[in-house]
Amino acid sequence: MAHATMKSIAILLADMQYKLQSNIHRRPLGQAHLGLRYLYKMSLAVSLRRALLVLLSGAVFILTVLYWNQGVIKTQAYSDSQLRPHNHKDRNHLSIPVEKSWTYKCENDRCVRTPYRKNASNTKRVSFTSCSMTCGDINIWPHPTTKSLISAHTLRFSVEDVQLQLDTPHREVSKLLKIAFDWFVRDLRQIQRLDYATHTPEAAAATFVSEATSRQRRHNNEAPAPETQPAASLFGSTFGLQRAGDLESLQVKLSVHESGEIDFNLDNNESYHLSTTFEHQRLVVHIAAHTFFGARHGLSTLQQLIWYDDEDRLLHTYASSLINDVPKFRYRGLMLDTSRHFFSVEAIKRTIAAMGLTKLNRFHWHITDAQSFPYVSRHYPELAEHGAYSESETYSDQDVREVVEFARIYGVQVLLELDAPAHAGNGWDWGPKRGLGELAMCINQQPWSFYCGEPPCGQLNPKNNHTYLILQRLYEEFLQLSGPTDIFHLGGDEVNLDCWAQYFNDTDLRGLWCDFMLQSNARLKLANGNVPPKYVAVWSSALTNTKCLPNSQFVVQIWGGSTWQENYDLLDNGYNVIFSHVDAWYLDCGFGSWRATGEAACSPYRTWQNVYKHRPWERMRLDKKRRKQVLGGEACMWTEQVDENQLDNRLWPRAAALAERLWSDPNDDHDFDVVQPDVFRRISLFRNRLVELGIKAEALFPKYCAQNPGECI
Amino acid sequence: MQLNRYLAICLCAAVAVAFAVADDSSSSSESNKDGNSKWYCDATDLCLPEEEVLTSAVRAQKQFESQRDCRLSCGKYGSIWPMPTGNCSLSHDRVHFDPWKVRFNVVAPSPVTTQFLRETNRLFVSNLLKECTRNCTFSGSKEVLVKATVTDSSLLLDWTTDESYMMVVRTTDTASFVDIKAPTVYGARHAFETLSNLVTGSLGNGLLLVSGARITDAPAYPHRGLLLDSARNFVPLRYIRSTLDAMAASKLNVLHWHVVDTHSFPLEITRVPEMQRYGAYSTAQTYSRADAVNLVKYARLRGIRILVEIDGPSHAGNGWQWGPAAGLGNMSVCLNQSPWRNFCVQPPCGQLNPLNDHMYAVLKEILEDVAELGAPEETIHMGGDEVYLQCWNHTEEITNEMRTLGYDLSEASFLRLWSRFHQRNVEAWDNINRHMYPKISDPKPVILWSSRLTDPQHIEQLLPKERFIIQTWVGAQDSLNRDLLHRGYRLLISTKDAWYLDHGFWGNTKYYNWRKVYDNPLPLASLSGPQGRQVLGGEVCMWSEYVDQNSLEPRIWPRAGAAAERLWSNPKSAAYLAQRRFYRYRERLIARGIHPDAVIPHWCVLHEGQCL
Repeated sequence: MAHATMKSIAILLADMQYKLQSNIHRRPLGQAHLGLRYLYKMSLAVSLRRALLVLLSGAVFILTVLYWNQGVIKTQAYSDSQLRPHNHKDRNHLSIPVEKSWTYKCENDRCVRTPYRKNASNTKRVSFTSCSMTCGDINIWPHPTTKSLISAHTLRFSVEDVQLQLDTPHREVSKLLKIAFDWFVRDLRQIQRLDYATHTPEAAAATFVSEATSRQRRHNNEAPAPETQPAASLFGSTFGLQRAGDLESLQVKLSVHESGEIDFNLDNNESYHLSTTFEHQRLVVHIAAHTFFGARHGLSTLQQLIWYDDEDRLLHTYASSLINDVPKFRYRGLMLDTSRHFFSVEAIKRTIAAMGLTKLNRFHWHITDAQSFPYVSRHYPELAEHGAYSESETYSDQDVREVVEFARIYGVQVLLELDAPAHAGNGWDWGPKRGLGELAMCINQQPWSFYCGEPPCGQLNPKNNHTYLILQRLYEEFLQLSGPTDIFHLGGDEVNLDCWAQYFNDTDLRGLWCDFMLQSNARLKLANGNVPPKYVAVWSSALTNTKCLPNSQFVVQIWGGSTWQENYDLLDNGYNVIFSHVDAWYLDCGFGSWRATGEAACSPYRTWQNVYKHRPWERMRLDKKRRKQVLGGEACMWTEQVDENQLDNRLWPRAAALAERLWSDPNDDHDFDVVQPDVFRRISLFRNRLVELGIKAEALFPKYCAQNPGECI
Repeated sequence: MQLNRYLAICLCAAVAVAFAVADDSSSSSESNKDGNSKWYCDATDLCLPEEEVLTSAVRAQKQFESQRDCRLSCGKYGSIWPMPTGNCSLSHDRVHFDPWKVRFNVVAPSPVTTQFLRETNRLFVSNLLKECTRNCTFSGSKEVLVKATVTDSSLLLDWTTDESYMMVVRTTDTASFVDIKAPTVYGARHAFETLSNLVTGSLGNGLLLVSGARITDAPAYPHRGLLLDSARNFVPLRYIRSTLDAMAASKLNVLHWHVVDTHSFPLEITRVPEMQRYGAYSTAQTYSRADAVNLVKYARLRGIRILVEIDGPSHAGNGWQWGPAAGLGNMSVCLNQSPWRNFCVQPPCGQLNPLNDHMYAVLKEILEDVAELGAPEETIHMGGDEVYLQCWNHTEEITNEMRTLGYDLSEASFLRLWSRFHQRNVEAWDNINRHMYPKISDPKPVILWSSRLTDPQHIEQLLPKERFIIQTWVGAQDSLNRDLLHRGYRLLISTKDAWYLDHGFWGNTKYYNWRKVYDNPLPLASLSGPQGRQVLGGEVCMWSEYVDQNSLEPRIWPRAGAAAERLWSNPKSAAYLAQRRFYRYRERLIARGIHPDAVIPHWCVLHEGQCL
């Protein structure tokens, strides 16, 4: 679009030049507008050169502005593309509709729904969200760990009243916090604007009254609210014409003093302290943290301490709140496989934004696999040329960098995984043509079940030095794109020894596998400026059951069953671990087998309760030392049966259930499949928040149960 | 100065050229990379690229420009979904055409049918446009002349409607001719749907059409349905319409709209506005009368009936609360009671009061509204499932009244009471229809779910088979279908362990993938009873406890499409042989703006025969 405009402007300019020239000795341009005539005169009077100079500088200016705007549009695209419902045709398609027919009362820490008639009673209607936020324990997700106090008194304000006060000596931190705050305000604006754009409450109330009173009139009453009305209120709110609420300003004061670090490592201090002062109609929310990351999480919390009330159409928050919060686990991950199916950068960003709101902090990007190689390497573009599904289904290094920078604002680290030596095939077949020998073997070999776990097969060549060279270059690129890190994922799972056995007559093929891992680890060190990353992660496998990989550096991501012996063995062998148990945290399971033959890999579906209730460290009764070896956990989204059409609802709200498990790890010694009513209450509201922001999170239960907390349990 | 001027002009021109080039390169990068290679259809009906195919095994030496091009005619049924039941022969040659160059000629016996077919043409063209991979406009296009001939002058759509059609495509040097002949407009619209399956986007501009084809086709079952529940969670109209679009693409012809339940009552009843006022989740989450009427029209144009279900006596609660305040007594009992486990099978509780005459009066008004809403020939689904007798038994008001009426409190009398409820409503329904549509002489049968009332032991005493069609929702192994068929009942089949699309996400239920949905044969009628056809068809069910607009589409599609082929073609072969057509069908849904689930890694779609 921007290109097209620029092109046409450029052509127009060229055209104007031409006309100016050809008409110079004829009559003035009749149809050209005044500016042009002026230019023409000027060119006669002074000189053509000056006119051209003016024109040219004008063109440059316009192009600059257009180019600049293009960038702005791009960063906001994730929310702008689909989050804002501007369709006036359907008044009932709103993600979060206005619910004027009910009012809520807080009874025994539960919100009770009762019908509300505007004219029948003089009491003010209490919206569900307002009730839910002020009834019972603090309603944020994940639950704060150390301390949380909120006042019963709430204040009303508009998004225009929110201001930032930065208190940090670190330039980089202040830069990031500024952007984070801008995005925070943008979200608030979106929440508040939802109604302005489509369905004004007055109009709703009006139709409602007429529905109640007259039957005949209703038939003619099909016209939706006139378009001018929302436009007017938008205008009004933008220019502060209808200042309402209790606040002159809401100042968000972000303090980060101790550390200026903005690079991720597992020792990042993510704690924060949130407190408020309220004086002279000014509410100051003070978020103090040791690092940018803590402040970032504080902002996510604050976002959840603010809600939109559809009764007075204002944002609400508590008059005073006090929260001390620090995560229980430092690695809180979500993995997405972009090889079985391709996912657009927009979809990935949307996912990361939701992760930020729920305080997950590691986006594990399983960017390649045997099926496809969508990453366009700077050094080896052949990989994507031969391995991507199509030219458009690729990630350029610019795309990856964009995701990394986007994620940083949300306090999420992007970990790029290039799985090897197995799970690599398509994209690696051009070696012989370039005289580099076979880089991989068994590519797409049949019958696949002999040579790999799922079609198509493919495994890197462990005896070709070029393979390692390419890996080293790719690692280098990954590290450059994702920034300095103390953890790197090498993949390393599900090697099929029969594949290699066709080519090598080594007696110890597992040794070959081990050598491969150690060799690629050595390459990783070279790629990282000769400094080995403190942690190197691999998937659990037959190899991790041997002691081939040094436990000082290697972290094992355990994806087997939670009751398997390997869990104990790996901890006993001194490895640090990340739990991704297939029986609890595999979000792709439950959709049957995708092949015509064979059973479903890992049915059934893991409900959000399954995800939430899983506490392997408790069930395994780990002692203090072994608990320390648990870095955290990660939910996995393999994408054999998922593409962009249903990514959101496959991930959310289940990944949020994991987030609370890893951030707060609430005590919970009840039956395996019973979740406390309070958890239902909070996750239900959190799901609403996701939907509000345009994440298509799945429904937890019938809406009746959301409107009547506690009744369906 | 002269030099300067030229310099400036050159600069501007260079800028313009640079942008033009940038534009070009960005659009060409979108084209698929398999544009470089040729595709062949091999002897086992696989579409393979040049480098993977063994020349000896090639079925026809014909080269195709892309996999999709190849798919159009590789295999007997090409990429037609659901597969035709009669003749089907497809040529390997293609016509490269421009969708704007398609001309229509409609031969129909009445203005309404002509109008209908013109609308069908419009929808057909808009579907074609969605297939274009690049620019639709193609200058070298031949004309495509489509002639549709329909003989029946009515728009009646029910179980007796003949939906068959015949279609011939042939190409001469000057133009392509498509000749469609069908008894009814609905047959003709299915033919257009099939015709759109003979088209795919070209790698260049324009579209490709199979240049020659001869197809005769008719559905195996007259009732090919999808149940959509909009009461557990509200489903906005936009999403119902897109569901209808996808149903049209699959030749499904009944949307069973489970519009109300205990949870909420979103449908506007003009005669009883209280229902919606007390029962809707919110004022925004409602269907007005106009919405519903428009929806019925929207569906009609796509060959789809909307069958409204007003569930009762169970599954009714919210929306019925206003009885006592209006002096009509308790119309619904056990309403929102807790602990719910004592009063119903699923929260919130609620069951109609079968001994309250006011309830029947209100219900009759609701039925009147529903009758007005639909087509004259349309019937109604009265629900009738999962009645929790304990609820009635625990309600003093009911037990007292029963004693005075001479019932004892045995299970048998509760069942009698329950069947009386349905009989009374059917009488009301007949009454309404006699007045509203006096031209329709025969009373219409109504539909009920299978329940304890339909137990083969006593169903014949409780529900006469002339008046009630039973929709069974038992497992495939259950003997109920056989028993009811034996007793002469007409059935709709919603196999609980194959066609319940909500399963797999709660309790001990299992998810049924598209193969399981596909490989679900309907029971055979054991004897051809007096009414002729006994198994009218079936429905896949989308209950919405755990689904709302955010995940509705991927939950229904493409699985409902697998059921669509079962119901249209009733194939003898298993899903395995349908997979490549099915993947193409799924891509077509995406092109039409539906968001179906992914069923297999993309690599496996691109590399046929490699992921067995």
